[in-house]
Amino acid sequence: MARPRKVFFRRRKVCKFCADHIDYIDYKDVKLLQQFIPERSKILPRRISGTCARHQRFLQQAIKRARHLALIPFTTD
Amino acid sequence: MRTYELMFVVDPRVSDEEVVTMTQDYRQMITAGNTAEITTEENWGRRKLAYPINKVNEGKYVLFFIQSPDGKNNLHEVEHRMRQNDKILRFLTVRTDEDLKRAARRNAAPSAGGSSAVTEDRDDDDIEPGEEI
Repeated sequence: MARPRKVFFRRRKVCKFCADHIDYIDYKDVKLLQQFIPERSKILPRRISGTCARHQRFLQQAIKRARHLALIPFTTD
Repeated sequence: MRTYELMFVVDPRVSDEEVVTMTQDYRQMITAGNTAEITTEENWGRRKLAYPINKVNEGKYVLFFIQSPDGKNNLHEVEHRMRQNDKILRFLTVRTDEDLKRAARRNAAPSAGGSSAVTEDRDDDDIEPGEEI
């Protein structure tokens, strides 16, 4: 029973950290963290990045630490 | 064995020589009493801050990797002193041994437990598949 709904394919998102086997997200690794802070410098939600819950948690911690040390911004205005 | 990372940001108006003496002072404080030792020291030098702190746009970053065998140390004391030092814009102490150990364990697990082609599911305890939006 095929519903007459438009079927569109979405690429399956994979957690970057699982794929790369990164299990310790370093707050000093600005290059890595920057991939998860788009223009407004907000933390990219995992609904968009595809990061798994576990790694999102570590990522969040790392980003907040890096912000405290002014390695990455809180906001950009 | 506990390991820590201690990073601090110094006002850029402080001269490089003075930064060196400051780091030496803190190094001495940390290692005093033989409860902890500094394994590595990194000096990142002048770096642009992501946002101004105390109307300053740059900072000099110094980083200590600290090792403390029995977990007793005077890092609290060191932090207290850093808080009082107005040449220090920011500092952060992070305990790293637990996280690194956990990471090492997870990295070791898949290779040891037969990483042949068939079993691709890794035992990620708290992950939903999360492909549907």
